[in-house]
Amino acid sequence: MAFPYRHDLETTTLLSQYMGEEEARHLDTWLERGGYEGLRKALSMEPEEIVQVVKDSGLRGRGGAGFPTGMKWSFMPGADDDRPHYLCCNADESEPGAFKDREVLRWTPHLLIEGCLIAARAIRARHAYIYIRGEFFPVLPILNRAVSDAYREGYLGEDIMGSGWSCDLTVHVGAGAYIAGEETGLMASLEGRRAEPRVKPPFPAQAGVFGQPTTVNNVETLAAVPMILTNGAEWYRQWGTEKSPGTKLWCCSGHLNRPGNYELALGVPLKDILFDVCGGIPEGRAVRAVIPGGSSTAYLTPDELDCETTYEGLKEAGSSLGTASPIVMDESTCLLGATRRIAQFYAHESCGQCVQCREGTEWIAEILTRIEHGDGRMEDIDTLYDLCEQLTGRTICVLADSVVFPLKSSLDKFRDEYEAHILRDTCTAT
Amino acid sequence: MSEQTGSQETVTLTIDDVEVTVPKGTRVLDAAQRAGVVVPFYCYHPGIPTRPAQCRVCLVSVEGQGKLQPSCVLDAQQDMVVHTATDEARLARKSVIEFLLVNHPLDCPICDAAGQCMLQDYAFETGQLESRVEEPKLVMGRDRIADDVLYFADRCIICTRCVRFMREVAQDDALIVAQRGHRAYIDTFPGTELDNPFHGNIVDVCPVGALVHEDFLFKARFWDMDSASSICPGCSNGCNVSVASKENQVVRLKPRHNAEVNSYWMCDHGRGQLVMANRGIRAEVPLLRDEDGELRPADWKDALERVASDLSNLEDGGRAVVSPHACNESLHQLRRLLERLGFRGGEFRVEQGGEATLAGFPKLKLRADRAPNATGAELFGFERVESLSAPGPGEALVVLGERLDDDPTLPDADFGEGAGYVLYLGTRLTEAARRADAILPITSVAEMQGTFTNWEGRVQRFDQVLREAGIARPAWMVLSRLVGLLGGEEPTRLEASDAFDAMAAATPGMEAMSWSSLGLKGVSLARPVDVAGGAT
Amino acid sequence: MSEGLHPSVAGAQPYMREEHQGSGTTDEPLFESDEGRERLEKIRSRYPSATPALLPLLNYAQEKNGWVSARAMQEIAGALDLTPAYVYSVATFYTMYNKRPVGRYLIQVCTNIACHLNRGEEVLERFLEETGTRPGETSENGLFTVIEVECLGACGFATVVQINEDYVENVTPEKVPDIVDALWARAEGRDV
Repeated sequence: MAFPYRHDLETTTLLSQYMGEEEARHLDTWLERGGYEGLRKALSMEPEEIVQVVKDSGLRGRGGAGFPTGMKWSFMPGADDDRPHYLCCNADESEPGAFKDREVLRWTPHLLIEGCLIAARAIRARHAYIYIRGEFFPVLPILNRAVSDAYREGYLGEDIMGSGWSCDLTVHVGAGAYIAGEETGLMASLEGRRAEPRVKPPFPAQAGVFGQPTTVNNVETLAAVPMILTNGAEWYRQWGTEKSPGTKLWCCSGHLNRPGNYELALGVPLKDILFDVCGGIPEGRAVRAVIPGGSSTAYLTPDELDCETTYEGLKEAGSSLGTASPIVMDESTCLLGATRRIAQFYAHESCGQCVQCREGTEWIAEILTRIEHGDGRMEDIDTLYDLCEQLTGRTICVLADSVVFPLKSSLDKFRDEYEAHILRDTCTAT
Repeated sequence: MSEQTGSQETVTLTIDDVEVTVPKGTRVLDAAQRAGVVVPFYCYHPGIPTRPAQCRVCLVSVEGQGKLQPSCVLDAQQDMVVHTATDEARLARKSVIEFLLVNHPLDCPICDAAGQCMLQDYAFETGQLESRVEEPKLVMGRDRIADDVLYFADRCIICTRCVRFMREVAQDDALIVAQRGHRAYIDTFPGTELDNPFHGNIVDVCPVGALVHEDFLFKARFWDMDSASSICPGCSNGCNVSVASKENQVVRLKPRHNAEVNSYWMCDHGRGQLVMANRGIRAEVPLLRDEDGELRPADWKDALERVASDLSNLEDGGRAVVSPHACNESLHQLRRLLERLGFRGGEFRVEQGGEATLAGFPKLKLRADRAPNATGAELFGFERVESLSAPGPGEALVVLGERLDDDPTLPDADFGEGAGYVLYLGTRLTEAARRADAILPITSVAEMQGTFTNWEGRVQRFDQVLREAGIARPAWMVLSRLVGLLGGEEPTRLEASDAFDAMAAATPGMEAMSWSSLGLKGVSLARPVDVAGGAT
Repeated sequence: MSEGLHPSVAGAQPYMREEHQGSGTTDEPLFESDEGRERLEKIRSRYPSATPALLPLLNYAQEKNGWVSARAMQEIAGALDLTPAYVYSVATFYTMYNKRPVGRYLIQVCTNIACHLNRGEEVLERFLEETGTRPGETSENGLFTVIEVECLGACGFATVVQINEDYVENVTPEKVPDIVDALWARAEGRDV
């Protein structure tokens, strides 16, 4: 069982306010907590007005890319387009290190439904799909019950809340593919195909799922929308920074005393999150490396943890905020093994379309395995650097680019680890 | 500024410093081809509608764009500046080859594709002849994907051309990619094989040796083969093909592109044609019946003089039986001979078979008429019949190409009995042929040049790929000589082009044609064709 | 059961049911019963065309039978006017479809980075020992299949193990014997 801990350090409980309360899951008691008020407001607004509010709030996509949400919505065709529009909620959460969307789904499913509806209205969609990863069986009964109840009580379907506006929602369950969390891969999977990403252009807003204009948003992003509607853009900007407003559900894992979820305003220094909020590393061991934003982000060394946890702050530090999922590795960690395991993940999840990714990720994993087992050569480091270059900017989607972030940063910052394995068949972990 | 030219908007862009103007909506790869710039590609194929852009070999640099772009799907824009050979683009291309070589087995010494393999080609072009991989290669083995097609999974580069050919062109979604990542491979539904009349095309589209025809396996090296442009004789569609031979045996047929006839494709029935062309017992020398009634070999001079003499002494008239496999020129010359002899015309019959249409290019159809020149036979005044009429008492028969011995309505090998005189021009000594008074050996389609007229009246050339069997000669040459010996004016030497031009001048609908104007794609008759055998 | 299911969630039912795995594995036709037909219709109604219903129907096949057989693929292909080859192509892309029957308890151990840092490989080894199986193979008694999986999305509570539909979190190698014992007990109908 897990739900966000409360903590003194600049915690805010915007998204997580009701997490941990059984009653938050049920429609009647959720309504008592102010549920669907954001939607009520949105139903009296024009789509463009809703888009403007979200734009003004500065909310950025929480699925890892950090693209401004309002701007993404504004890419959709306007009122003169009579094609069906679609909203897809990306609940495929499969990024190693990330485990926040699960909390929204199982504690506040109505919040998500509300967010989906507001987004759908903003982009003139009449059907929203929640694409949820197949492994989330424990969450399904809760979510499904919430959706069914919403339909029964008039919060989904025809004439929502008596407004005259109608919108459907369907829960669509995946079957085990990380790449189905990629925007176009998700759409392909929703269409009943292999989850193979597509070349862009065309962009989803022009031709997405079923060939129609589509917007794909992450669970946490959509969950933030109702309160922005209810309280306004300025209110949301009380937290975070100018470029990275709002709060974030953090997912802290690895070698920590108190791993788990924490909702924090964006901007808290990373080291404070790890050593105060999460209580630092067990048995007083020293930190060796941190991957700050889920496995697709670059390693940070112990002296790089001072950074501000904003999109811009992490970028300046040479990594990225990603899904705000720090994975902490203490001094006992063999970084070669860690990087190897990460590379194996990408190799396993590659859809196989692009040659560089299909062959390259597996090749990288095999080289790292070989080095880890004492059979490496110094030339392997050059090869790995070269592979980093060949996998960057060459493929249909960024899975190949994603493995480069941890790999290249491990070569740059932990070369001693590689050399120890190659030259002395030992590890620098203690 | 893009302009309106006629009914279509165009854009002008620069590719490798060459300016080119193309219709709006053209992709950069196609624009490059027009500009004479070669950009390599695997997954793109001009005959397959989709462009997945997944092989990543066609990446080019575009000024103003940070990342390399796949030119097969990039829309050409006005004033776009494209460079295909920057260091970055070249490096990217090279690295694709290296990645393909990570698991691709170096099977060249035993792979049928060697010499015509796009992986070899680009490996040499980019200079990436090996990979740095030390790890053992993934071994996936071999699968029978169709009755006659083998799939070597290790060699596969997952370009998906074969999958998309089946899905989009054959419109039979039976070939798919199974699994994902580097474990992906091409497969059919478990326990099934491909069973489609056009599936052989997947071997042609495969850029490497992953898909091979089993009956070609290990038969010939690409560089040991001779080839010639020809027309498939399997039915009346007239698909343009390339016939390859080794040591004077036909080893395979592959389709040639013709946008008006067969696009890039052909059917499986056609692929089996001509392989038996010069095998078995052929008529190789002229044979004349001597006083004892035995057939004896003769040289051409004696044979032609004797036949001409016999023909001119006939009193009871005669007619012809022709084969719809005979070419236009031969039929034309036969018509001239019949007119000179005052014979009353001739018949032909066409073997029939089931039809099959290539859904994605419906003009390509395996047609019911299983012969290449039924239209030509009608054009030259021969009558299509279900079964051949028996000759009248004492009537002479001139037989061109028809084997005669497989007509089910006639008693075996009895055809010709009761005829006053039988002249047989053919490729094989069938039972019925042996009853002839004179046998003149002619060349098969593979051993000569000529033209056929396809189902819709397109006249197309075919070229010679095998040596003549024995001293056989093209029928049009033999018949022209006979006409000359019977008093007509004939040139002493006759090339195929001369035979064609003479025929064209004398045949309604062909007047504007010449041998050279036919080129490699053929030309349609100037008048509509009304063919009994099904012009659909 | 399909009746009473709102169409919006008809395609979103859990599909790793203990009762249909191990000795309970079946290969029943999917759409010959009223229930199956109703489920098909409800699912199909949520999409503008047939093909998008494919994953929900593959899920349904596994929900009913515990695996997705070649027969089931053909049946689904027929229901959606797709070729069996196409369905096979999609089914083999996704890891959660069992192309062969599995044990009553499919024990899925994550060894991805966060669990790797928390002895995930040891947990996997321990499960293999305690169940007497090799990765991916079903035990003789049909009870256990142990496989290694990628990130299950509960990284703060490593090592994460999924047993059929349930998440078991904070698993250490030391806890494994008790977990396996509890599964035995459940299988034998005992209380623990």
